[in-house]
Amino acid sequence: MRKPLRLVRDLLIVLVLLTCDLHVRWSVMHVQAASLPRVFLSAVSLTPRLIEQRTGEAVTHDYAQAWQDLAAALDANRTDLLGDYFTGQAKVRFTQRIKEQSNAGLRTRYQDNGHRVKAVFYSVDGGEMQLEDEAQLEVQVFDGNKLIYTSNSPQKFLVLMTPGSDRWYVRSLESVPDDAF
Amino acid sequence: MGRLVRNLFFAIVFALPAFSQKATIHAPSSVTAGNPLTITTAGSGSATLYLIGPSHVRKQSIKLGQGVEISGQDLVVSGAYQAVACDSDGCVNAAFQVLPAKPARLAFLLHPSRVPVSTPNAVNGTALVSDRYHNTVLAPAKVDFHLSLGEESSTRSVQTGRGIAWFEMGSRPKQGALQVVASIDNTEEPRVIQQVASEACGLRISAAPAGRLVELQTDPIRDCAGNPLPDGTIVSFTKTDSAGKSTVDTPIKKDKATAQFELSGPAHISVACGVVVGNELTLGGRP
Repeated sequence: MRKPLRLVRDLLIVLVLLTCDLHVRWSVMHVQAASLPRVFLSAVSLTPRLIEQRTGEAVTHDYAQAWQDLAAALDANRTDLLGDYFTGQAKVRFTQRIKEQSNAGLRTRYQDNGHRVKAVFYSVDGGEMQLEDEAQLEVQVFDGNKLIYTSNSPQKFLVLMTPGSDRWYVRSLESVPDDAF
Repeated sequence: MGRLVRNLFFAIVFALPAFSQKATIHAPSSVTAGNPLTITTAGSGSATLYLIGPSHVRKQSIKLGQGVEISGQDLVVSGAYQAVACDSDGCVNAAFQVLPAKPARLAFLLHPSRVPVSTPNAVNGTALVSDRYHNTVLAPAKVDFHLSLGEESSTRSVQTGRGIAWFEMGSRPKQGALQVVASIDNTEEPRVIQQVASEACGLRISAAPAGRLVELQTDPIRDCAGNPLPDGTIVSFTKTDSAGKSTVDTPIKKDKATAQFELSGPAHISVACGVVVGNELTLGGRP
């Protein structure tokens, strides 16, 4: 009689431990997801190559991460924060922006309220992906502690991303006129 | 005396609005990258002007009521700009857009670097069109892709969409250097793909017995378009006899591959190169 009871007890302990482990993992994922800007990627009109689901997930994550890094870099005037997800012209331009605003005593704060991103071009060899982004950004520019400019209107960006060894990099991130797409 | 005071009073009353005129700022809605622009201001007194662009920030003192010249060097990166003027009463701003200039640069990516001949959709190229300041040219433009291999040449024109033009095509039937030149206006970007022979076609061996040995040699190995397979391509000779199966891998030298086996009784010999299997021989004995 005792053996079945012990078995049930052990089973319960294992179940409790498993539940705790899963809960911890979900919490971490939830925290990670919550800390990144929201990016909704659509690949309905993508040509000439179709996008694989894992590639779509990677692009979505890495683009969100790039925006998080950009916001942090512009707020703290730290060019080193651009190193992980920016490359090429995008990195050159934002590095220059940060240096110049730092020299002028300015900083820029983004409240990132999400990105509706449409993948429009994915090259046959998989080497380039172009995105159209409608971003909901609240932008505040400070001179020291004085707020000199604020904006809360949608902005459009044309984005070029290229794959690296373990991630997708933002190679070009250009703001474009409202009627661009 | 009374008239003087009255006149002074009126002068102050009428002059005050002029002194306290609220600052305003105005900029053209758009300008082409690299071109100068004049920002007009109204009001009086001094202020601080901030020019905030995608990659450029400038801060300077200005006199309200005067125009401010922004040089083309400050406006080379396309995108949304803000001109902000701040005085003791607060800040006003004007937004404008810097648009890309005309196409002047091409980034051209051609894949792969080596390709077998006569392979459908094996070659693809992507051209990214930008102006002299590396801004993506959004307006549609025509990119020419000129292909040449030996004396054969052709051109295809592709219109850009959001600064990108691309093509995909099969490789040519003849091996050699396929040159593809992407061009727009006076800008050209050449790239070269090496077209190599495809799989072997009609692979055949012949045998020359010499005592217990047999010398095997292929005919010249070519693909179905007649292109010789490059030296170093591996050819596999396999012998099956009473002792079992043995294989010799040997590289092509001067269009041919050779091998030597020792025979002990009847043997069956086959040859293969890549995915292509050639003829089979039965040697050394009774059927």
